Amino acid sequence: MALRRSTAASTLLRTAILGAWGLFCLAPILYFATIALRPRNEIITPHPIYFPTITIETWAKIWHDWPIVNYFTNSVLAISGSVLICLLLGIPAAYSLARYTYRGREDIGFYILSTKMMAPAVVAIPIFFLLRTMGLLDTVWALMLVYAAMNLSIVIWIIRSYMLDIPSEIEDAARTDGASDLRILWSIITPMCLPGIITASVIATIFAMNEYLFTLIIATREAYPLSVALANFSGGSDGIIYNAIALVGFLAFIPVLILVLLIQDHLSRGLTMGAVKG
Amino acid sequence: MAEITLRGVTKGWGTVIGVDRIDLTVRDKEFMVFLGPSGCGKTTTMRMVAGLEEPTTGEIMIDGETMNGVDPRDRDVAMVFQSYALYPNMSIYENIRFPLRMRGVPVPEQDALVRKAAAMVELGDLLDRKPKALSGGQRQRAALARAIVRQPRVFLMDEPLSNLDAKLRLTMRVQLKHIQRQLQTTTIYVTHDQVEATTLADRIVVMNGGRIQQIGTPDEIYNSPSNVFVAGFIGTPPMNLIEGRVERGRFVAPSLELPLSAATLASPLPEKLTLGVRPEDAEVAASDAAQIKSTLFAVEPMGDHTLITTRIGEAFFTAKVDRDFRQALDSPIGIHVRPDRVHLFATSSGDRLQRGA
Repeated sequence: MALRRSTAASTLLRTAILGAWGLFCLAPILYFATIALRPRNEIITPHPIYFPTITIETWAKIWHDWPIVNYFTNSVLAISGSVLICLLLGIPAAYSLARYTYRGREDIGFYILSTKMMAPAVVAIPIFFLLRTMGLLDTVWALMLVYAAMNLSIVIWIIRSYMLDIPSEIEDAARTDGASDLRILWSIITPMCLPGIITASVIATIFAMNEYLFTLIIATREAYPLSVALANFSGGSDGIIYNAIALVGFLAFIPVLILVLLIQDHLSRGLTMGAVKG
Repeated sequence: MAEITLRGVTKGWGTVIGVDRIDLTVRDKEFMVFLGPSGCGKTTTMRMVAGLEEPTTGEIMIDGETMNGVDPRDRDVAMVFQSYALYPNMSIYENIRFPLRMRGVPVPEQDALVRKAAAMVELGDLLDRKPKALSGGQRQRAALARAIVRQPRVFLMDEPLSNLDAKLRLTMRVQLKHIQRQLQTTTIYVTHDQVEATTLADRIVVMNGGRIQQIGTPDEIYNSPSNVFVAGFIGTPPMNLIEGRVERGRFVAPSLELPLSAATLASPLPEKLTLGVRPEDAEVAASDAAQIKSTLFAVEPMGDHTLITTRIGEAFFTAKVDRDFRQALDSPIGIHVRPDRVHLFATSSGDRLQRGA
């Protein structure tokens, strides 16, 4: 009996602690949501407001005044293009690292991962000059390439870890059945590590969505994606346009939230896998 | 037509030798079983025939054609794996059809071939399912159908029954043998289960430590094992192996004295000998007819027979006796062994000397 009571008490305590932590994490997002839904004068008043006016009236104005659809399209194009590039290069690379034995395989695997170990700022200026020479500054293509370069290593490592889990007997069977290496990769291996591919894609999407440094350097007007567009709503005669920041923020936040909810089981595996099985 | 020949085949990884100078011919239409404990090189040998491993040295030929360096898909062999290795993303139908697609069999012919193979393994109504919706036995049959569908020159089976429960294993064993006889395809079958080996095989290759210990029909292997390893590996319970010496024309060990025949004594004998007696070649006897005089150590009723065990020095000696035999433990017992059925091995090398004593 005593045991049961203490279990109930510890459950209560655990719930309370986790609840408090959850509230702490969620509070900014909730606050952010109320900013998006309140008129501007209510947001900037120093007095507390207990019964806020809820309105989406400012949304229409922002939608009308700013090319938000453009920002959104740029984001979608740059990110989906970069994920596609990552998968096209990453799946064969991961298969090679997972299954073939050749000189320097471990080293190559490490070199690929090591691209994550340096501060992005180190390469920011060379990349800027490179893209300027190529005439790609302020284009979605440049964003696409940079996001792909940035995410390729993590995509390779996540997919590789899933491939390592596939029993090699299945490939042996396909080989004796008459399949070529490329056919095995395409018809057997890729469908079997689809959860890994999806996980890697979502993680790459999130990273690309949140990328700021390179985006700021590359996009100067035409290529603005959501992340850098946020910065546009400060300064100028209107001051900081909090409603607009909140709206664009939500446009960027909701798709990622949905993606994460859809694959949350795989996501934790994808994030820990490379570390555990590396 | 498919005859498989291995000549001096060796496989090593660095300093580790997995398969050591194997010479072997598997005849056309033969059901050949590779038998041995795990790590004896039997699976590696089969994988070299499949082309999944390349031999370090030596030559592998199918129908006189050298297969070294030939890609698995160009060898026209089909393999069945212990884990079944079905493609989990495809239906059973697609699994069976896969080898046909890979070999460019015309699409209109594929369906009939798939259905025929599925019917042979009695899998007809499960074709739409995915592998994970099937039981172990059904998966094994699907893997078998995938192997037989394109009528390869050679079947290679790597412990295909060892993931099944005991009862299913018996049924599948019979089916497997039947299908192989029907198709008359040369087959190599790898197992560590001696019952599977003796029931399925035309001939058995007993392997240990990467080397062939003996090649022969199940009867030959059972009746004249070529060394102590084969003698001890085949048979349940295994052959009794007793170390002793020759003294005045007799084989002598603690509690055991066995006169040797004139023929045996005619040739020079090594100083130390190992006597091999199968449990069924020994019987309880009155003390004047018994070569073994000891006390009863254990009695194990098995239903249709009883196993009794006595001690000979440090070693145990088991005899298979009448089902009604019952006697108190530690009581004195005499055992008679049939002199024409005993086996003699040189203790130092383990090699067989000759049949009978």
